[in-house]
Formats: sequence, C-alpha cells, structure tokens
Amino acid sequence: MTDLDRRYATLEPEYPAASGSLADLLERVLDKGIVIAGDIKIDLLDIELLTIRLRLFIASVDTAKKAGIDWWESDPALSSRAGRDALAEENARLRARLDALEAATDADEAERRERPGRHERHERQEYVEETR
Amino acid sequence: MSTPSPSSSLVCAFAVTRTPPPAGLPAAAGHEEGGPLRQLPAGDLWLVVQDVPVAAFGEAALGERLNRPADLERCARAHHRTVEAAARTGPVVPLPMATLYRSDEGAVDAVTSRAAALRALLDRLRGRTEWAVKVHAAQVPAEGAGEAEEAGAEDAGGSGGRSYLSRASARRRVRQDGHGRAVAAAEAVDAELRRYAVAATRHRPQSERLTGRRAPQLLNAAYLVDDARREDFAAALARLGGAGGPAGVEVGASGPWVPYSFARWDEEGDPEPEREVVRP
Repeated sequence: MTDLDRRYATLEPEYPAASGSLADLLERVLDKGIVIAGDIKIDLLDIELLTIRLRLFIASVDTAKKAGIDWWESDPALSSRAGRDALAEENARLRARLDALEAATDADEAERRERPGRHERHERQEYVEETR
Repeated sequence: MSTPSPSSSLVCAFAVTRTPPPAGLPAAAGHEEGGPLRQLPAGDLWLVVQDVPVAAFGEAALGERLNRPADLERCARAHHRTVEAAARTGPVVPLPMATLYRSDEGAVDAVTSRAAALRALLDRLRGRTEWAVKVHAAQVPAEGAGEAEEAGAEDAGGSGGRSYLSRASARRRVRQDGHGRAVAAAEAVDAELRRYAVAATRHRPQSERLTGRRAPQLLNAAYLVDDARREDFAAALARLGGAGGPAGVEVGASGPWVPYSFARWDEEGDPEPEREVVRP
C-alpha cells in the first residue's frame, strides 16, 4: 500500500496516512475537481458504495494474503452488489423495528408517569385517543 | 504524437496548468494502459493529457472496470499521481478522474472556452493546499459491561421486559444528549479551523459502514490553506486533536492535498455547459 501513502510531492508529509485516506482519495478524484465537459460520460455506482467495496476488497486482500489464500478472487460476495445490499436492507429493517420499539416505550413511559396506578390496557387506549 | 488511429484511442485529461513543467512529466505517471503523458497547449493554458485505448477507457469498458475494486483503485491512484506530478511546479486545476475526449481538439476547446474562469481559478489555488478534516463522535464504550449488569438486574427484579425497555430508553436519552454535545464540538472544531483557512467546504459525512467506526462522522470538511498559514493551521489542528481539544469527539486529518475540493466554478458565473454524452 505504498502508493496510498504518497503525498503531494512538493510538501513534506505532516500526517501519516489515516485509514480513511483511500476514501479521501476517491472522494476527491471521483467527485471533485473541475468538470470541463468530457466527450464521454461514465456512469458510476454511488461513490460511497464504490468506496465501501474498495475498502472491503483491500481488507480482504490484506487478510487473505497473510493467510496465503486468494478466495476473494472468486467470491461472488465481493464482486456482486447483491450480497451486501441484502445485508444493508436487513440492517435497515432491524433499525426501523428497534426505533419503533423504543419510541413506543418512551410514549408508554411518559403516559405512565402522568397517570400512575391505572391499568395498563386502559392507559394504552386513552393515550391513543388523546393523540388523535 | 503518435495516435494510432482516431477510433482506437481517447484523450484522457488530468489537469489544467499555467505553464508546462520545465522538466517534463515523469514517465511513471498516467494510466498504465495509456501512452506517455503529453502537454497540450490550450490558448495560454496547458492541459496534461494521455492517449488511452478505447478498449479500456470507452464508455462501456471503463464503466465496467471502475465498478471493480482493483481497477478502480489503480485508476484513482494513477489519476492522483498524475495530478500531483503536474502540481510539482505550479498551481493546477485538477479534473475529475476519467475526463475523456475523442480528440485533442475536443479537449482544447473545453479549456479555451472557459479560459478566463480557469485562469482565475489557477490564481486562487496558487500557493495553497487542501486539508481534509474529519470529526467523529468518540467511540462508544463496549456494551458488554452494561448488558451483564442488566442481565443481573433482570434476574433479581421481576419486572422483566418493561424495566429493560425503560432502561434502554433512558440510555438512549443519555446518548442523544451526548450526541448533541458532540455535534456542537464538531461545529466548534470547524469554526476554529476556518480562522486559518482561505476557504472551507463540507463533504457528505461518510457512513459508519465506510469509516468502519461505531460512532458517527459529524464533520467531513476540507480547508484551503495558504502556504504562509500552514503552520498555524497545523498547530490549531494539533490543539483540537490533542488532550486540550473538545471532549466527546475525535479529530482526524490528512493533507496536504492538491486542492480538488476547491477546484470549482464560482457560484454565480458557472460557465459549465451540459455534460452531455456525445455518441459517434
């Protein structure tokens, strides 16, 4: 990864290459710089997605090299978008469920503090009516 | 220059410069699939270009290659190396990776039709570099201890799920307060660094998936810093990132960069025509 550590050549390096510097690089060369209409337009995936993929790829290569294996070359999970998207979707679904659960708990609690001693089922019904 | 035939190669442009580097450009720079780097005069400006094969840089081929990690990385580094090489002797306006033309004429036209704006930009970027600064919320402590404690409490008290959920929401409130303070700290970091910068801009914060951290990125900023103020900027950065810096956040930086993030047209006079797809 020595190329990664290259620095703007006229200037002495002042910060060691952070783990984020590859993401920094892609963020810049793909997304920044002045656009003077080229003749050819390349449709890229979302830059963040590309960067994540690249990051996964590099982590895999480093890890695998140490172990002397090259499974990533043929692993469809590293070359196809589908695998990671499925994970991301599942993650989003779980987060949504957690948020809903936590929100319900908060509302429930607030209600309970105001009306101590009531039966829980009643509370719930009244709360629903009040918020309409 | 030897372009084999107009249809088998494209012109890949890297950067606009005021003058050609006196010693020429290093042979190592450029995309490995392409020919040697060339200096293309464009009015009173210069373009750093390279002939690249259509087979690797045509619309379909390049689109496909850039979606493959290894090729994307190689391409990004080659582009960056070339821009840096061009920046060695003076200001450059970096172009985005894969700025491609069918001919030298097309590339030259693109520059000469915007020469005034590009000249102004070169003047603005002269003697200045870009610094990338990211502020993250401090990593949340491992949750193992808390969970063990909860499990114990649950065993002791009989309140079960409800008490667990109420503790969970209490924890969430604490976390939200902490988040508010961290956001304020990130804003303070930005305000302090802006004092030493000519200009500042913000990029979209990177996701936790990308940073690999368990804490959110609160600030993803770039600062354009005058060479004369570089030490002051670095000192401020060291202060903010050190023990005396704001609590609850972690400050990280990389630089100096060729000022990619500040190579843009002025807000008002955007001379950029539609970036259209020209098909043969």
